[in-house]
Amino acid sequence: MAASSRRRVAFVGAAAACLLIGAAGYNWAQNQLDFSFHAFQDSRGVTVLSPDANFSKDFTDRTAVKIRFGVDAISAASDSCARCHPDGANNGRVVSGVNVTRKYGDARLTLGGEFSRELFYTATTALASVSRDLNKSNTTVAGGFAYSFNKPQLHPSETTESQHSFDAYGSVTQSWTRKTVTQFGYEINQINGYQTNPFLRTSVNGVMTVGNSPDARTRHALSARLRQALPADTFLDADYRWYHDTWAVDSNTLSLGLSHHFGTSVVGGGAYRRYTQTAAYFYEPFYTGSPEYYTGDFRLFPFDSNSLTGRLELTPKGGLMGMPAGSALTLQYERYKSTTGFEAGIFTGGVRIPLK
Amino acid sequence: MSWKTRVALALTLSAAGLSATGCATVQPWQRGLLADSCMVFDANNTAAYMTHWQEAREGSMGGFGVQGGGCGCK
Amino acid sequence: MIGRPVFAFVLAALLVTPVLGAAPKDAPDITLTDLSGKPIRLGDLRGGVVLLDFWASWCIPCRRSFPEVDALHRELQSKGLTVIAVNVDEQQKNAYMFLEKYPHTMTIAFDPKGAVAQAFDLQAMPSSMIVDRRGRIRFTHEGYTDKTISLFRSEVLQLLAEGE
Repeated sequence: MAASSRRRVAFVGAAAACLLIGAAGYNWAQNQLDFSFHAFQDSRGVTVLSPDANFSKDFTDRTAVKIRFGVDAISAASDSCARCHPDGANNGRVVSGVNVTRKYGDARLTLGGEFSRELFYTATTALASVSRDLNKSNTTVAGGFAYSFNKPQLHPSETTESQHSFDAYGSVTQSWTRKTVTQFGYEINQINGYQTNPFLRTSVNGVMTVGNSPDARTRHALSARLRQALPADTFLDADYRWYHDTWAVDSNTLSLGLSHHFGTSVVGGGAYRRYTQTAAYFYEPFYTGSPEYYTGDFRLFPFDSNSLTGRLELTPKGGLMGMPAGSALTLQYERYKSTTGFEAGIFTGGVRIPLK
Repeated sequence: MSWKTRVALALTLSAAGLSATGCATVQPWQRGLLADSCMVFDANNTAAYMTHWQEAREGSMGGFGVQGGGCGCK
Repeated sequence: MIGRPVFAFVLAALLVTPVLGAAPKDAPDITLTDLSGKPIRLGDLRGGVVLLDFWASWCIPCRRSFPEVDALHRELQSKGLTVIAVNVDEQQKNAYMFLEKYPHTMTIAFDPKGAVAQAFDLQAMPSSMIVDRRGRIRFTHEGYTDKTISLFRSEVLQLLAEGE
């Protein structure tokens, strides 16, 4: 249950941010069906299996639709569930989203929505974004806005709380040379409403208690990304993000990767990611007295993490296992380790099938 | 907004401003490398999943922008 | 007082891309190299209508446009249309891989350094230029949509109907 509770409460900003990334970023005329399968196992013994499907199609010269459907199947006992469900708890999450993009000359407008549902949490998101190509497509400016209405249920109580999340972003992508492209982005997210994780507990005067977080949070993120083509069919990717919020969580994320074309059908790559974050201002390892806010949510603790990822993408000439030519198989494995002692391995297998 | 946020925002906006003017323009027929899947931001859905997973485990969110670059085809 | 009309004009100019009725330009007298290495001089093709279609292996809409332009070539070649599909890949091996996947009957020419693309001042990929019997560029298309082929057909037929 810990995994699903983490996931649940995470939708606050995650749904909005992910959607904005997935929505307006559309490669026109690329009709395809993507199936992915993600499996992760962490040091707490939680296993999650998540298949998801994405379908993208242009319906007219100027209108394209993207549909997304995903399922998380969570099994295995975890700390929080095991207290009351010693034989383990099975849970599932379903997420579905649609967005429609329309071209207006060099500009694109995207409107979309996403809905996710699991036991004890629902999230509904609406978004709109625009992007415009300038300077012979060397510069792309984009901006968007998303609103999410989320309802956590405070299991085992029947009480349902709510939260409202407003998210806005802007980005500029610039091609500098035939081999260099950068992207700068800024995102701001305002969340109002219930934001305590109802499952994670901390010690207050010696008693394990569900936390109490403030009900307003403003989050800022600034990012800079680079893609650079190097000699010998090799490519460098470097991403940096600076994050700050009004709960005093500050973080820095740096990711560096290299990928290489092995012949015409294989792409292989690896990346290293380093993440550091400070604690929320109301974080303590344990609490005494009458604190106004207190938390057992590990996402608000100070920690660093390192992760290594290896990736392989295969696009065989004659197609893949009966699928049309141009179909690609992606295999990726990431090993994540944080200074809180948490460790996880995440495996992803995906298939991309081009459609006419 | 704290001074740190202001400085970071100013730096990013200036960088973005410089971006928009562009130095040497890449011509439309020269975009072959830029169109490569390794050069495109968020080329696959795995990246979106990983972002989602990270946000479920870490205290931060988003910040990364939206597609641009690539083949620039109309 | 002068501000508002000036502002309105500037706004209109920014929002609308005016189509100026300029006289058709002469197509630059370029020479291309075909698959077998033979030169093709655009000037030698005067008298007929020429459709120059600029494509690349990395251009996703070209996967749709390429076979359709080839079909148009087969349809109108006997009426006087010459189609030249100009490839702008910097590495020709990528062009060859594309050609293996897409059978064709039209003439393929190579412009790896982009000199011809530059001469025609391409604004986007893919791009097509239709040159009349007198060697003047009469129609320019950027991008590719479901309507493009029928537009090509009507424009080519219009130019074929013109004398020299």
